[in-house]
Amino acid sequence: MTGKRSAVSLHSVTKRFGEDVVAVDDVDLQIQDGEFFSLLGPSGCGKTTTLRMIAGLEFPTEGSVRIFDEEMGLRPPNKRPVNTVFQSYALFPHMNVAGNVGFGLRMQKMDEAEVVRRVGEAIDLVRLSGLEKRSPKALSGGQQQRVALARALVNRPKVLLLDEPLGALDLKLRQTMQLELKDIQHEVGITFVYVTHDQGEALTMSDRIAVMEEGRLAQVGSAEDVYESPKNLFVAGFVGEMCHLDAVVVDSGSVRLNGGELLRARTSAPNGTAVTLTVRPEKLHLYSSTAEAPPDRNAIKGSVVRKTFFGESMEYEIQIGASGSVEARVENVPSMHRWEVGDQVIVDFHPEAAMALTE
Amino acid sequence: MTLLDEREMVEQEEAVNPRLEKRARRAESWRGFFHAAPAYVYLTFFFTLPLIVVYVFSFASRSNTGKPLLQDWNLDSWSKLTEPLFREIALRSLWLAILNTALCLLIGYPFAYWIATRASQRTRTLLLVAVLIPFWSNFLIRTYAWRMLLDSDGMITRLGEWTGLWGQLLFTPTAVFIGLLYGYLPFVVLPLYAAIERLDWTLVEAGRDLYASGSAAFRKITLPLSKPGIVAGSILVFIPSLGAYVTPDILGGAKTTLLGNYIVTQFTAARNWPFGSAMSGAILIIMLVATILYFRTDTRTI
Amino acid sequence: MTLHQGAAARPWVDRVLAINGWVIFVFLYAPILMVVVFSFSASPNVGRWGGFTLAWYDRMLGNELLMSSLRNSVIVALVSTVVATILGTAAALALARYKRWVGRGTFDAIVYLPIIIPDVTMAVMLLLWFTSIGVGLGLGSITLSHIAFNISFVAIVVRARLANMDPAMEEAAADLYADRWQAFRKVTFPLIMPGVLGGGLLALTLSLDDVVITSFVQGPGSTTLPVYVFGLIKRSVTPEINAVSTLMMVMSVGLVLTSLMFQTRADRKNRQ
Repeated sequence: MTGKRSAVSLHSVTKRFGEDVVAVDDVDLQIQDGEFFSLLGPSGCGKTTTLRMIAGLEFPTEGSVRIFDEEMGLRPPNKRPVNTVFQSYALFPHMNVAGNVGFGLRMQKMDEAEVVRRVGEAIDLVRLSGLEKRSPKALSGGQQQRVALARALVNRPKVLLLDEPLGALDLKLRQTMQLELKDIQHEVGITFVYVTHDQGEALTMSDRIAVMEEGRLAQVGSAEDVYESPKNLFVAGFVGEMCHLDAVVVDSGSVRLNGGELLRARTSAPNGTAVTLTVRPEKLHLYSSTAEAPPDRNAIKGSVVRKTFFGESMEYEIQIGASGSVEARVENVPSMHRWEVGDQVIVDFHPEAAMALTE
Repeated sequence: MTLLDEREMVEQEEAVNPRLEKRARRAESWRGFFHAAPAYVYLTFFFTLPLIVVYVFSFASRSNTGKPLLQDWNLDSWSKLTEPLFREIALRSLWLAILNTALCLLIGYPFAYWIATRASQRTRTLLLVAVLIPFWSNFLIRTYAWRMLLDSDGMITRLGEWTGLWGQLLFTPTAVFIGLLYGYLPFVVLPLYAAIERLDWTLVEAGRDLYASGSAAFRKITLPLSKPGIVAGSILVFIPSLGAYVTPDILGGAKTTLLGNYIVTQFTAARNWPFGSAMSGAILIIMLVATILYFRTDTRTI
Repeated sequence: MTLHQGAAARPWVDRVLAINGWVIFVFLYAPILMVVVFSFSASPNVGRWGGFTLAWYDRMLGNELLMSSLRNSVIVALVSTVVATILGTAAALALARYKRWVGRGTFDAIVYLPIIIPDVTMAVMLLLWFTSIGVGLGLGSITLSHIAFNISFVAIVVRARLANMDPAMEEAAADLYADRWQAFRKVTFPLIMPGVLGGGLLALTLSLDDVVITSFVQGPGSTTLPVYVFGLIKRSVTPEINAVSTLMMVMSVGLVLTSLMFQTRADRKNRQ
């Protein structure tokens, strides 16, 4: 059985601008053929710069970029088998939709009849049939985004690069487009490298995610890995919601909170290290007395200080004595118990759900 | 390919890579220079070098024909700048230029404001075209129009005689002033219009929301925000006004010699090329300094 | 954008602004219209109307000197505009698209100087220069001078246009397999075309308009139209000058309106 090929591999890639700005710091990545890979992180973390180095719009200061084992070196973008969907779409205003979509094919000196055929296919793929003659200015944001997508895909690139393509769309449209992009990726079968700062987007769409912080890779893994087993505080805080409590490691598997409570959690740091205990809000359960809580789990006492209604869920902020506060998310179902501010509760969670993390 | 070969290849490439980016940057640098080179060479040859020549000649001595003799270098021409005649002409020119700029701004601003805020989209285009036409028309012709109107039998002169309000205006400083105002008013309207049109009006609304009266909102928000247009417009008027030649030549007389005329005379009747060079050189320095200072204070207040 | 932006609910402000506006329009147009009207007046006295005639236009067309100076003006304007537009556009590209090259800072400073210098100074500079290097004064020196100041104007206009263009356009073109020349031809140039045309038109007008610089660097034999008219004005004021003026105004206005027509047609095409 042939193993999956590496579509894009970055080896010790560093990008410096001038003397002091290090945009990308010693990044190593192997992106597999056919996967939907996301680069996730806050603004300025280097994800877009990394993408541009794959595209050929920037060149690495150090390190190598290879696409299907071919060293890219100084190859300009027009000599690379990749295409990009730009954040601003960059549609050519002086050409209509068909002209935009066919641009790359014509630059490759393709036979005109073939160009027309492929352009038709691409426009159908993104469901814009009938709008071929429109000018980009006459299209909505969502339609423009699809033209940009078609313009890139029509060239049948080996890798498609997408730079925060859904940023300018409103919530509902973004959610629809996310599903559509995923479908298209499955249909076309090529590797997608997707840059975003929206962790929800990355989680729903990606096979694997690379979380970046200040130019460095914080963690690379599947969506579930990154969410359930964050390697450090930054990843835990950036991907999804997180409760945090200061604690000290007592032994491997136990920590003590500031208020003295002893809890079981996943730890890897040596005894005595100051850590932050992190739990996802949806993993917390609330009970009115210890008797109701399941045994063999963590149970700590607290009182409700605030409640916020999120529609599909209710979030309770709970003060745990002197140890800090946590947020518990309770799914809004008919059996949900409604707590009030001031109620004394028992906060209960599985030790496997709690991680003791350091910076 | 074995693992060993692959590692070797990567190491080889890594050794090359630190230079890759530098090569790319050097290629970019070359391309930029290449694009600018023709214009750069041309301007060096037909601007920078002539500029230097002006200063060189200003230290030369004067031959019988008035042309500069490249020997006996002296400061005669520059010392002539301290003479009362030159000072009188320079001050008169400065005063007229400042007055003209101020009046152009005073008249032009409400005009530009009117077009930018009180006209519908379509009317605005028409009005702009209407302003553009005098702007694009030949400056000489527009000055000639006033020569015609202020002539001894011209319409404005006769109107003045009929109403008893004014007499012969031609060849007086007033005529020159009218000519300058008429000539340069369109120059100030366009940048002002551009700046006002680009204004973010939500800022004015915010000001009104914070209890500013109409005039206060204008003074504290609209006016300062249109400053770039004011700066651009005043430079476009002040500098040509200071160096005006055609207008005072046609509309003014001997009593209204301005800097422009005085300089030109050195190359014609007065035959003193070095002095003409010195004056040109002096004006250049003053204008450059004034422009730089003007720009500096502008950005500082913002 | 609302119609009455920043408008207080005070109609008197509107009225004052409108009155001011119309007064200024009358002020701007009346003198020019007078010039045109009196080009048809039979009386040689430009102040008084003498009955309708086309005689002055006849005289103008029969004036060999005038016609040849018009020819010279057009030739000089066309040549200097073409050269200045090419050099100026390239310079604008260099400044707007390439951030680091040898001499960029100096060039950036130099390229705007001809705009802020009064033409008297420029005229003196060029006269002295031509005299020093021994270049004969004639149509050639006039053309060379016009190119010198026009490069800057074209560069400014095109650079403004480039600044408005999303740089991602050119990146997208490269991403879509266009090499540098193709990207320029198919993407950059069409998008900056209005700027190039605008700059070219400005250069054409400035060249046709120029009096001071031309009068300094012209040779004994030939002259351009504005300089010739300048001489006429200083000698005597006759309606023949009105006729020439009207001709010159029709030329400039015609140029502007044609360019505007092209502009709106291009905009309309882009909108479809």
